[in-house]
Amino acid sequence: MITVTAARKHYGSFLALDDVDIDIPSGSLTALLGPSGSGKSTLLRAIAGLEGLDGGTVTIDGRDVTAEPPQRRGIGFVFQHYAAFKHMTVRDNVAFGLTIRKRPKAEIAKKVDDLLEIVGLDGFQHRYPAQLSGGQRQRMALARALAVDPQVLLLDEPFGALDAKVRTDLRQWLRRLHDEVHVTTVLVTHDQEEALDVADRIAVLNHGRIEQVGDPVTLYERPANDFVMGFLGSVASLGGQLVRPHDIVLERDHAAALALDAKVADSPGVITATVERVVPLGFEVRVDLRADSGERFAAQITRRDAAELGLREGETIHARATSRSTVVDHDPALAI
Amino acid sequence: MRVGTGTRITLRVLALGYLFVLVAVPIGVILWRAFEPGLATFIASISTPAAISALNLSLLIVAIVVPLNVVFGVVTALALVRGRFRGRGLLQAVVDLPFAVSPIVVGVSLIMLWGVNGWFGAIDRAGFQVIFGLPGMVLATIFVTLPFVVREVEPVLHEIGTEQEQAASTLGADRWQTFWRITLPAIRWGLTYGVVLTVARALGEFGAVIMVSSGFPGVSQTLTLLVHARYIDDHNTYGAYAAATLLMGIALLVLLLMTLLDRKRSDR
Repeated sequence: MITVTAARKHYGSFLALDDVDIDIPSGSLTALLGPSGSGKSTLLRAIAGLEGLDGGTVTIDGRDVTAEPPQRRGIGFVFQHYAAFKHMTVRDNVAFGLTIRKRPKAEIAKKVDDLLEIVGLDGFQHRYPAQLSGGQRQRMALARALAVDPQVLLLDEPFGALDAKVRTDLRQWLRRLHDEVHVTTVLVTHDQEEALDVADRIAVLNHGRIEQVGDPVTLYERPANDFVMGFLGSVASLGGQLVRPHDIVLERDHAAALALDAKVADSPGVITATVERVVPLGFEVRVDLRADSGERFAAQITRRDAAELGLREGETIHARATSRSTVVDHDPALAI
Repeated sequence: MRVGTGTRITLRVLALGYLFVLVAVPIGVILWRAFEPGLATFIASISTPAAISALNLSLLIVAIVVPLNVVFGVVTALALVRGRFRGRGLLQAVVDLPFAVSPIVVGVSLIMLWGVNGWFGAIDRAGFQVIFGLPGMVLATIFVTLPFVVREVEPVLHEIGTEQEQAASTLGADRWQTFWRITLPAIRWGLTYGVVLTVARALGEFGAVIMVSSGFPGVSQTLTLLVHARYIDDHNTYGAYAAATLLMGIALLVLLLMTLLDRKRSDR
């Protein structure tokens, strides 16, 4: 369990962390999600001890480590740009923490070989980091961090420097690894898809504050405010309220739309709009619309619904939110 | 840019001719003159007591200056790259000062500072001779070679950044272990190059050293001073050529060592 209490951090006049409180349960895989400058990396580095706090405390498994340097916090850290020790072989990189701890040679050799097998780098022992691909380097960095049996594993945008395909593979792999190793893991990311994919808890940060913490489904379906809603998935603004584009229903008949809408509590009402563009996206179709008020929004409907409606550009259509939709009042102060 | 064959050949000839006339010819002439009377004569000329003493003195100065420059050069480079303190810009400028100031000026200022009538003259009067002794020559050499290690190590430190060191600290290494195991190996090629430049300059320094040396043959003559004394004072032209050849030989040896080390690195 990691507990951060009232963490504050300034960089000059910029407030990176504004009285942040967060509990990270043991064994969880928590994602710190937010745009750049939201304080997510600063929070992670403060847990690691790589960044000092102006105020507040950090405890790891009940031990107050606020004043401890990184080497005495029992952590493993993975950097976005791998931070591979370039002058050492893969084996020496992974063995580094154990060598520092002066463990017996045989024990080190066995542990390193085991870890390299887990991360799929068996046979790469004598390579140098320069001879590895980005994905391999990051897996080596993970093995290196895990070698010292950390109480918590901290990952700072670990897949940010990799290309899309490798990134998806590696995060699946990280999820499986976490299910096997069960080490408390904190992952920093700006990619909501990545957070939803790997994490079992997500903390959304904005302007140095935590907006909401919860499991992915709660965050997606019951966002605390429109920032969280906008950051986890796409949104459409319908009559001053935010809804998911796939929660918008389009009707040709205005009366039918009104009748159905009457059953929906806090509905934004029925909006009459002009179809600007119909974009097929494979399984779904995105319909770009312009309301009579001039506001533009997009609806995402299935191919079948699109075919039934037979939408054409320039036509008038009536839009409303579905009965189960996630609706958040729009607060301009929180806008991204 | 596409360059015609004619232009390309002209450019090459020009570059090679320039190098040949300005570098190869003078060195070649000295080598030819030194070995013209035969190897035995050459060896006899560089093994006179004065020559051996000069060689020893030059090597002794190198042996004192290099470790000092390594330690202070690395510390200064670290401060310049990592430090966030007032006066960093000033320190940057001061490090380059030896490049800008003529060595002869350094010699004069050292005499003003450390000479019998200088600011620190009390030390001299107490019996510890700085000027016209080994300490003066070491001080002069340190001054002129000061920037080399700093300027070679600094860009490497910039390039490696601090992530590897942070990674080491999260893996349990304290500052000292991090320095020895991560920082030093990462900067070692910059450091090696800085050392080679320091050695070459320390061996070849003339202007600053001649000001603060008493210049007695067999006592306080470095190899460069020996070359000068033989040529100007003794009108022993051949002796000057031979000593100059010896000087070049050592510099070449250092360069060769450096190249070998470099090759060993790229073999990996």
